[in-house]
Amino acid sequence: MEELRVVVLVFISTVLINNFILVKFLGICPFLGVSKQVETAFSMGMATTFVMTLTAAATWLINTYILEAFNLPFLRYVSFIIVIASLVQFVEMFIRKSSPVLYKALGIFLPLITTNCAILGLALLIPLNGYNFITSVVFGLGAGIGFTLAIVLMAGLREKLEFGDVPETLQGVPITLILAGLMAMAFMGFSGLISI
Amino acid sequence: MDTKISKLVLTLTVIGIISAVALSFVYQWTNPHIQQHQAEARQRAIRAVIPEAEEFEEVEKKGNTFYEGFDSGGNRVGVAMIASGPGYQNVIEIMIGVNINEEKIYGIKILSHEETPGLGARITGEEYKSNFVDKPFGDYTVVKRDTQTDLEVEAIAGATISSRSVTKIVENAVKQIQDAYGGGA
Amino acid sequence: MLTRLFKDFKNGLWRENPIIVLVIGMCPTLAVTNTVENGLAMGIATSFVLLSSEIVISLFKNYIPNNVRIPSFILIIATFVTFTDYFLKAFFPDIAASLSLFIPLIVVNCLILGRQEAFASKNPTHRAIADALGMGIGFTWVLVVLSAMREFFGMGSIFGIEILGSWYQPMVIMILPAGAFISLGILVGIMNAIKRRGN
Repeated sequence: MEELRVVVLVFISTVLINNFILVKFLGICPFLGVSKQVETAFSMGMATTFVMTLTAAATWLINTYILEAFNLPFLRYVSFIIVIASLVQFVEMFIRKSSPVLYKALGIFLPLITTNCAILGLALLIPLNGYNFITSVVFGLGAGIGFTLAIVLMAGLREKLEFGDVPETLQGVPITLILAGLMAMAFMGFSGLISI
Repeated sequence: MDTKISKLVLTLTVIGIISAVALSFVYQWTNPHIQQHQAEARQRAIRAVIPEAEEFEEVEKKGNTFYEGFDSGGNRVGVAMIASGPGYQNVIEIMIGVNINEEKIYGIKILSHEETPGLGARITGEEYKSNFVDKPFGDYTVVKRDTQTDLEVEAIAGATISSRSVTKIVENAVKQIQDAYGGGA
Repeated sequence: MLTRLFKDFKNGLWRENPIIVLVIGMCPTLAVTNTVENGLAMGIATSFVLLSSEIVISLFKNYIPNNVRIPSFILIIATFVTFTDYFLKAFFPDIAASLSLFIPLIVVNCLILGRQEAFASKNPTHRAIADALGMGIGFTWVLVVLSAMREFFGMGSIFGIEILGSWYQPMVIMILPAGAFISLGILVGIMNAIKRRGN
C-alpha cells in the first residue's frame, strides 16, 4: 500500500508540481519549437512520452545491472545517451512502419527527440532519486504526460495568439517565452498540492 | 554508396573503447578528490549538529545509518542522522544531532531543499533552526505566534507548510533514533 | 586567411548568436541563470566542451563514415562532458553542486551537436577553433547578461556582491522559473529590436 502511495505521489508530483518544462526547465527546445499547433504538439508529446517511459525502464536496468554492479559510474552519460539515441531510432522505424502519416507530420522533430534534454534529464534523475523499477517507469510516464500537458497548453494559447496583435519585436520566441512565464506562474499554484 | 557495415561498427567501437579508457583514467584521477569533498561536507554537517564532538563513527542500526559523536575523552556525546521528507516543493533533507542521555535535540542543519527563496527557504536561517536548539524529544506543534512551551515550533511567516515539513522530519528522525538506541540512557 | 578566421569567430557573437538568433541551448539558459556565478560557470563549461569536441571532430572528420557521424559526434561530446563533470566535482564542488543536473545535460545541448554537424565536420581545425570560441563566447555573454538581470532584480546582488541595500525588497519571481522565462523573453525581444534598427 505504501508502495502504491509513493508511486501515485511521484506521478502527480512529476506531472504538475515539478512539471518538467515549467518547473524543471527540461525540454525547452521542443517546447518552443513544436508548440504552434495543438495537433502536432499532441503527437510530439505522445511520441516523447513513449520514448521517456521506455528510456526510464532501459536506463534503470543498465544503471542497476551494469553501471553499479561493475562500478562504472563514469560511463553513465555515454551509455545513457547511446540508449536514448537507439530508442529514438527504434521508435522512428516503428512509427514509419505503423503510421506513415504521423511519421510525415512529425518530420525532423522525431530524431530531435534524442537531443531533448528532458529525456536525458529524466534518465539521470532516476539514480539521483533512487527510485526502484516501477517508480522509475511511472516517473518516466509522468514526465512525458507533464511535458505533453505543457506543450499542448502552449499550442492552444499560441493558436489563439494568431488572431491577436503582437508587437513586431515580440513576435515568435519572445512572446512564447513570456507566455511560458505566465504558465509557469500558474503552475506554481500546484506547489503544496500534496499535503503532508 | 553504402559504407560497409563492418566499417560503421568498427568506427563506433573504436570511439567507444577510447572513450571508456580515457574516462576510467579521469575517474581514477578525480574520484579521490570527490570522495574527500563529500566526507568533509558530512563532517561539517555532523559537527554543526553535535558541537562538542571531536570524532565520529558511522554505525548501522535497524537499517539506518547513524553518526555517533565522541568527545576528546572518548565519551559518546551525541548521535546524528540524515533524515528527509516531503517539503512544499520537493524533498527536504536535514542532518539532526541529539543528546540521547538528556533526550534533547542539539540542533539541525538543512542539507538540501527546493523551497521558495525568501519564504520556505528561510528554514535554513538561524531564526527557524533555533526552534530546534536544545529541544526536548516529543510531539511538536507548529504555531504562528511566539512559542509558549518547549514542544512548540514557531512557523516562518508565510511559510507554514515548509515549517511543518521540517518539524515532521525532525519528529520522525527523533523517533527513529529513540527506536534504535533503546529510547534513552 | 586571418580575416576569414576572424569572421568565423565574430559570427557566434552576434549575427548567429546561439541563444538569441539560433534559439538553441535553451534549457541551461533558463535553468542556471539565477546568479551570475552560475551563468558564467555554465558558459565556460559549455564553451570548453564545444571547443574540445570541435577540435577532435575536425581533426578526425575524414575517418568517420557519414552514416554513423551523428552517433560518433554524440559519443565524443558525451566523453568531454563526463570529463568536465568529474573535473568540476573534484575541484570546484560548490559550482558543481549549483549546476548539478545541467552539466551532464550539455551532452544534449543542440548548440554543440549542431556546430559539429554544421561546421567542424566540414572545415579545417583552425577554423573550427575560431567557430567554437565565437559560439562559446556568444553563448556565455548572453547567459551572463541574463543572470545579471535575474540576480540583480531577484536578489539585489551581482556575482554575490550585494549592490542594492537591505531596503530593497527583492523580486523573488526573478529567480524562479516564471521569472526566467519572462526575462529571457524580454531580453530576446530587446535584441530583436536592436537588430531591426541595425538593418
